[in-house]
Amino acid sequence: MARVNSLIVLDARDNIAIALQELPVGMRIEQSDIASILEVKTIIPRGHKIALVDIAKGDPIIKYGERMGHAYLPIVRGAHAHTHNVIGDRVSTEPTG
Amino acid sequence: MSISTPSLLTGFLRKNGKWGFRNYILILPLHNALNQLAEEVRVSHPAQTVITSVAHDWSGEIDSDWDRIHRVFSGFAVNPNVGATIVIGVGSAVEEEIVQAARAKREMPIAYLTLKDSGGFDNLRKLVAESVSEVFPLVTSIKRESAPWSAIVLGLECGGSDAYSGITANPALGVASDKFVELGGTSILAETMEILGAEHLLAARAKTPEVGQAIIDVVARYERSITYEGIDIRGAQPSRGNIEGGLTTLEEKSLGAAKKAGNAPFTGVLDYAYVPTEPGLYFMDTPGHDIEQLTGFAAADVNITVFTTGRGTPTGSAVIPTIKAATNTEMAIALPDLIDLNAGTIADGTETLAEVGERIFAEIVDVANGKLTAAERGGHREFNLSRLYGSTQ
Repeated sequence: MARVNSLIVLDARDNIAIALQELPVGMRIEQSDIASILEVKTIIPRGHKIALVDIAKGDPIIKYGERMGHAYLPIVRGAHAHTHNVIGDRVSTEPTG
Repeated sequence: MSISTPSLLTGFLRKNGKWGFRNYILILPLHNALNQLAEEVRVSHPAQTVITSVAHDWSGEIDSDWDRIHRVFSGFAVNPNVGATIVIGVGSAVEEEIVQAARAKREMPIAYLTLKDSGGFDNLRKLVAESVSEVFPLVTSIKRESAPWSAIVLGLECGGSDAYSGITANPALGVASDKFVELGGTSILAETMEILGAEHLLAARAKTPEVGQAIIDVVARYERSITYEGIDIRGAQPSRGNIEGGLTTLEEKSLGAAKKAGNAPFTGVLDYAYVPTEPGLYFMDTPGHDIEQLTGFAAADVNITVFTTGRGTPTGSAVIPTIKAATNTEMAIALPDLIDLNAGTIADGTETLAEVGERIFAEIVDVANGKLTAAERGGHREFNLSRLYGSTQ
């Protein structure tokens, strides 16, 4: 049986990874390209992003080693990073309230 | 990421110092009424793998994009993968101009046969076939020799993208592209609409401030042209389907397309169908249309292309071997005669990005050395002039 990874880290500089399958809450992920065991905090659909580190409000989101936007709410390690907490830097309107 | 030493690269050295990885006799009609004649001569020749031809819808009109048409035909005629070209026309001044431009671009056998001087359509067919026979021994006597890495002029293309393109085939192609650039080769990213929203990030990778500004400028020009048409795609991007698939921002979506070009610095920006002048990574201002992009690459001396696809697009070029990399395993299995390699293993979790990048690099070397691609085996020879693009600027 070939090894099967649950995540893909696209660049060593990234602070998010991509789920290769739906990741249930509480799942513990151990993979050679992740610093330490990653515990899933919120459900992550396949193809979506999971935070690899704690990301503070205003911090950049790094994918492919490049900035793709920033967090407008804090994201804890292991949580889903998507439109409910991440927004583009350029063509976007930051949600208020 | 390290890539192991590949096998030796070989190619056909041309008199202008360029290298070809194929050695074709090209039959190039300059009027759409002669497409069929070109095709008939090609298929009637016993050495099918040596002869190539194209078909298109141009019939000599000169519009505001004449410079572009002229550049594409004359550049296509002298692509380094071509050993000799037989141009066929009706016998007009604009055809003559194209032939002269091609002859000025490269010293090689370029015949020009016209309907006007032929004594009839059937006779023209006979004359074209004779012309092929005449150059055949000369072209086939050119042998492969050991080539430097700078021989590689790699075209980067994607079409029929899916949710996996940005995490599988595109970044894996970027790994291979980075390696060729590092070794002294040339690589060209294109499709202006696909970098919209990420151009400031690509500009930050420019070697000089002028190149960075040129990247910003081509996207701004494109933005103005779509605003002119009354379209604003930015507000609708990423689309609802993209967001459901996991894409959050416009930058992210465009970075996914641009990842075909890895992380290397940008050496320059090229207008459509312009030839790069030194090795390195370039951005070419092209339409998003796959075949128009591929035709522009061919006219710019690109000699090999990797095309990432989520849907198995059959597109190939008459003069450039075009390697198809599947973004997902399901499609790679479903359409085996269209796909050269499967990058979907990254999403399956069974291979890493670096491993697939290494496979793409090795496939490029093998195809450069003569291995036929799926598109070549299938006889895919699409050609499209990029006609009206730019006419509203």
